[in-house]
This record gives sequence, structure tokens and C-alpha cells, in this order.
Amino acid sequence: MGLITAIGDSAAKNRMALSLGKCGISTLELFPSKYANSLPCGEIKIGTQILAQKLNATEPGITRTTLLALHAFEEAILDSKLTVEQLSSFDTALIGASTVGGMCLTDELYMDAQKTENGSEYINSYDCSSVTMYLQQRYKMAGTISTINTACSSSANAIMYGARLIKNGLAKRAIVGGADSLAKFTINGFNALHILSGERCTPFDERRKGLNLGEGAAFIVLEREEDIDNKKVYAELTGYFNSNDAFHPSSLSDEGFGPYLSMKGALDSAKLTPADIGFINAHGTGTENNDLVESRAMLQLFTTPPPFASTKSNIGHTLGAAGAIEAVYSLLNLHYQELYPGLNFSQPIAETGLMPVDLYTKTTLQHVMSNSFGFGGNCTSLIFSKS
Amino acid sequence: METAELKQQLKKQIIEFLNLISVKPEDIKDDEPLFGEGLGLDSIDSIELIVLLGREYGITIQDPKEGRKILVDINTMVSYIEQHRTK
Amino acid sequence: MPMFYIHQTSCISPQQTFDSVDISVLHQPVEHKLKVIEPVATGIPMGTLRRMSKAVRMGVMAALPLLQDGTEPAGIIIGTANAGMEDCFYFLKQMVDYNEGLLTPGNFVQSTPNALASQLSMLKQNHGYNITHVHLGLAFENAMTDAGMMIKENPRNNYLLGAVDDIPSYNYILNSLAGWFKKEPFALEDLYTLQTPGSIAGEGTAMFLVNGNPEDAIAQLRAVETIHTEEEEAVKQRLKYFLEKNLINGEEIDVLITGENGDSRLLHYYLACEEMMPHTTGIARFKHMCGEYPTATAMALWLGCYILQKNPVPSHIIKKSFSKKNCKTILIYNNYKGGQHSFILLSVPGCF
Repeated sequence: MGLITAIGDSAAKNRMALSLGKCGISTLELFPSKYANSLPCGEIKIGTQILAQKLNATEPGITRTTLLALHAFEEAILDSKLTVEQLSSFDTALIGASTVGGMCLTDELYMDAQKTENGSEYINSYDCSSVTMYLQQRYKMAGTISTINTACSSSANAIMYGARLIKNGLAKRAIVGGADSLAKFTINGFNALHILSGERCTPFDERRKGLNLGEGAAFIVLEREEDIDNKKVYAELTGYFNSNDAFHPSSLSDEGFGPYLSMKGALDSAKLTPADIGFINAHGTGTENNDLVESRAMLQLFTTPPPFASTKSNIGHTLGAAGAIEAVYSLLNLHYQELYPGLNFSQPIAETGLMPVDLYTKTTLQHVMSNSFGFGGNCTSLIFSKS
Repeated sequence: METAELKQQLKKQIIEFLNLISVKPEDIKDDEPLFGEGLGLDSIDSIELIVLLGREYGITIQDPKEGRKILVDINTMVSYIEQHRTK
Repeated sequence: MPMFYIHQTSCISPQQTFDSVDISVLHQPVEHKLKVIEPVATGIPMGTLRRMSKAVRMGVMAALPLLQDGTEPAGIIIGTANAGMEDCFYFLKQMVDYNEGLLTPGNFVQSTPNALASQLSMLKQNHGYNITHVHLGLAFENAMTDAGMMIKENPRNNYLLGAVDDIPSYNYILNSLAGWFKKEPFALEDLYTLQTPGSIAGEGTAMFLVNGNPEDAIAQLRAVETIHTEEEEAVKQRLKYFLEKNLINGEEIDVLITGENGDSRLLHYYLACEEMMPHTTGIARFKHMCGEYPTATAMALWLGCYILQKNPVPSHIIKKSFSKKNCKTILIYNNYKGGQHSFILLSVPGCF
């Protein structure tokens, strides 16, 4: 596995930062926006040029989103010791996810769209599939390649699709994940919805004021059980389910039917009961709507929910990358048998009384659930189990 | 501007702004609730209407919850516009 | 075992493919674009319709006839590259016009490509699997693969499988800048003979109701294969492997439907695949009907189903003639922008 977020450019650094309760949400420094000082974000403080040089990816037309993806992807293949031959084999799938894709270059895109000739170097890079396409080309990948965009649940669905390709015999291994970078487009979009907080977000707190956007990327290598041999294994993906809330384009239904169904479906697919889940990495964006509805759904399914927290208090909401990043965090939970503190919490939501984990805890964990919910009511839950 | 004239103008603006296909200004009653029943508007529309008040009448509303009190029906919107408009 | 059986199809394209199908007469492009004949939007509540972009609206209109009579699919599986693009640019324009000031969120919310799949789930109160593949020229192929796996896992379930892409003006500009559309004016009839770079911009949507039940099916979708490469030899090898793996001993392809699109730079891929077919195989083309867009293979699949149903085949699609009576097996080969290739194999149900 590999990842890069506002709290670290590797899995090891992320684990350290999570353990120490570090928060990567701060004032925007790397690109101009009217909101740079008023809306804090989980920005990765490495300039795009520096990233490109570090990764030896200086060809024209490469966007920040692609570079973040490449960073996480390279760490993942190094960690899993995949060979060049394995990467370019017919039975290695690559499933990416992104919502912003090349649209992080908002201004360039707008300029290009006004032209009649001489498009910029990014003319073929605005699409959200451009990120996956670059990885495919760089590593000459020849298996099933897809990009999924279901808004904020995109990369959770990428993980699920990759797992199903393996299960159905259409791939031997799948490299799955997602990437998104901060963009004027999303900052203005979420701001227009009045769901961005001017302070660091406070998931599951009664006085929560909204979410912070973040950026990052994560990739995971999934392999069949029979191919594991002596390889390093972090955990097993035992359950997954996607369901639609079918209520509203940008908010969840009061009763949280979609979240309930996705969590329930994931339990059923893993053949587990609610009591088996030791920790939930909640979607927990910090908005009024999400945290209340997710809490209600957890209460309905679990009666007494297991320990839970939202790592969005560390890194912000990384949109299309969130599901994959939080999956990696779940793997860290399981592999190291530890829980990381949710930050900035002080007062439970009056109606539900639920309190996220707020201290670093060594514990015994068998199964961890990770939730990702997106616009259009798209709800996905994944379950990882200690192998 | 006369109140009646303002009401008519506002109705036209709402229809255009929210792309209310096939609704005519005379279909919107002054005291008919804008949300839930009546026009059946939702939370996204309430934010769009706040933007409308900002762009057309120079009215700034920071808190969408505050907006809900103003965006009850045409009457409440018009009386708020008359008191607070800056353009 | 096939991936799935197709039970109903629906298509909105620049030709008369919706309601009463008549593709004998070619509809011509307008301003260098082949634009869909959009049906009057009915059956969609006003509150929902007013927020729909053209792509979402035509996708919903194509899907609704397949969801009548209480048909409740267990999932909605969509492939699209551009759905949401139109709203995306409206929002971008607002950002620039109002200098990141007071913006309306409606366009932003609808700018996500999963707007179609989610609008359908909302309209039909469908809580099932809801996915949107956006991998450009292979978005629909991945949606097919996804549907195939879903049906293998749950053979009794129905799934709504489809694709949509439109030509928002900004998208047309970007693709024109990148040289993907012919600059010079030309007659549609000359698309394949001009031998110049670029194709014609197009759009369309096709929807399929699919499941694991061969009874009364229109067609069986036997296999889908994709490859990313720009090397002709790699495409040929993959096709060879695909045919060896999927054709039964002695079986031949009756019709090859190719995505030939008039772009002189891409023609050699199509010719190479045509050369690999036995001399008995007929060849059909469809891009003059719908233009070039990332999910055009959904239109090709619709056309394949149309041919397998023994409908009248118009001469304008035929490049090399074939026996319409005995047409049982069709291969679709398409490539998008020279780098994304796909093979789709379909047959009448029950013959293999």
C-alpha cells in the first residue's frame, strides 16, 4: 500500500502522524484562491514542480492529481514488491478513482475552452480518467483498467470493483485506489453549498460547522489468497457493499437508509454480525447532515456502535481519494492493532450522544469497517479483517 | 418600485434562476410556501435564492438558516427585499 | 457461459432510434456535430427535470422505457466520460464571472458524472448497486464487465446497463483543439473517404436491460476484452487471443461492426482487424450515424442487437455485405483516440 496526504508522504509517516494526533489542515499556500486565508484545507505542502522532479515525471501535461496518484502508486508497488513483468501482465488490473482529475487546473481549463487554436499542454489532461491513463502508460499496464467517479465514494468503489475482478477470475491482482488534489473548482463548489468550515472540522461534534477539503492519494495492491506465499499481508478485504440512498443529489436522507444498507450489506457479504466489528473509520465529514445521519444509521444497525472516528479531522475530505486513504488507515489499524484519535471533538451530538475515539489506543482488532458516502446518495462500506 | 411590481419581477427572477420549466409568474401565489409543498423547492434551491437576493438586490445573508426565515413565501421575500435592498 | 443476456434495448442518437425506429434515412449533422434527436421529456417530475443537464436528461429518457411495468433493476451500471461536463463548465464560468464570489451550487452538484445513475435511483427509488465508470473510451466496456460480474454473482437479478455522452460546447472546443474533429467542412457521405485526420463530433445514449436468463432474450453478450496500446501488432494479437478463447471450434463471425470514424490516423487499426476476419464475414460501420464520442460502443451494441433481431439493415452501414438472414454472431471492434481498444462479442441467444 502507498499513500500521500497532508500529514505525510508515506504510509509510515501517516501512521506516525495519526498516532500523535497530528492535524494537517491549514491555510492554503500553494495556489491562489480568494479563500486561501479563510477556508483551511488539508494541503500537501509539496509544490507540484518539486513533486514532478522527485517522481521523474516531467513530461508535459501532467497534473498535480496525477503526481499525487503516482506518488502513492509507486510506494504501493515498492511495498508489494511487484515486478515490472507483473505490472504489465494481462492479469494485473488497475482501477483508479478521481472526482477532480485534471480539473485541478481550473484556470488553464477555462482558458483552453475559450480558444480556437493552440491549446495548452494540458488539453488532454482535464478528464478524470487522465490520472489512471498516465499510470497505465508509465507502467505499460495491459489488464483491465478503469476509472470510477461516484463522487466522494469513488475510490471505495474502485477497491470493490478490483476485488470483484479478482473474485470473478478476471484478474490475478488489482491495484486499486484514488487521487484528488485541491482545486478552486471544489473549494468554490462546496463553499457555494455552505458546507465548508472556516475552522478545523470537528466530526461528530454537536457544534460542527462543516468540512475542510483535503488532497491526497492512496493505492492498495489486492491479491488472491492462493498467490500470497510469503508476501507481506496487511489484511484481508472480507466485505463490501454499495447502495444508493435515493433521496437527494447532495444530502443524505434523515433516516440514513443508504448508509444503513451499505453497512448492513458489507456485514452480510463478509458473513459477520454487527458485534464482530471492532472499529469504524466513519465517513464523518463534519457537516451537519452527514454526521447526524451516519450516527443514526450506526445506531440503527449496531444499537451500541463500536469505537469509531473520522480521519477527516486529520487530513480533510479528500473526495475521490477518501475511500482509498481511509482503507489504508483501516489496514494500519488492523496491522498494528491500534486506534488513532479523532481530533477536535468536545461535545457529542445531542440526539445521538455518540463519541468518537479521541485517544490513541492499543487494542485487539479483528474486523474494521470503512464508510464512504458521496453525492447522488452513493454509499459504500468496506470491511477489512485481520488475516 | 411598487410592491406589486416588485413581486412580479421577483417571481420572474425565481423562475429563471431555478429553471422552473413550465411555471408562469401567475402560477406562484404570494402566500404559497416556496419549500416542501407549493413549488416543492429544496435545500439547494434555498441557497440559490440567497444568491439571487445577493446578485439582484445586493442583500447579503451569511447563514442559510437565517435565509429560511426570509424564504417562506413571496410576501416574506418581498418585504425583506424592500427593507434591506442595496440596489 | 455468456456474461449476460440482453432483454430490452433503448437508444437516443442523432438518428431515429427512439420510439419508432427508422434508420433507413440518414440525419445530417448540424454545425459539424451529429446531435441527438432529443425526445420530449415526459415522465420526469418538473422538480427533477429542471436541474438535469442534456446528458442526464437523455440518459433518463432512454432508460425510462426499460423501467416500466414495475421492472426494478437490482443495480444501475453506467459508463460515461462527459456526463456532468456541461454543469461543470457552467460552474467554472460562474467562478470566473463572479470572481469566486457568490455562486449557485446547483451546477456544482450536478457536475459529477454519477448524476445520471443517481437521478435514476432517485426517480425509481432504487437503493441497489449504483456505479459510474468514467474511463473515457472504455467506460462502457467496464460497465459491461461490471454488469457481467453482477449477474454471475446474482443470476436472477435484472440490471440496467447503459452509457451516455453528449457534446457540451466546451468539450467540443477542447477536442477540436486537440485535433480530434475534422476542421474542413464535408458531407457526411464522405466521412470514410476523405482520408484526413479527425472525425466528426457526436453524442448518444443507449440503455440495456440485462440478466442471466436466456428465455426471450434479444441477444447474449458473450465476452468483452479491452487493451490500452498504440501498437497495431498488440491489438491484432489481443484479437487473435480473444477469438481463440471465445469462439467455438469452426465458428465464424458473421458481421464485424467497426468503429471506423474517418480519422486517417486510426484507419490502419480497423483495416488490420478486418484482415483477420475470414472472407465470409461482413463488415458494418456506425460512426456516420452517431459521430465520435467516448461511449459510442453502446450505440454499436444497440445496432448489433438491432441486426440480430432481423430488422431491416440500411445500406449506409454496410462496408462489406453479409447475409442478413443467417446473422448469428457479431463482433464489435472500436478504438478511442488510438489508445483504447475494445472487442465485444454478441450472438443470438441459445445458439452456443
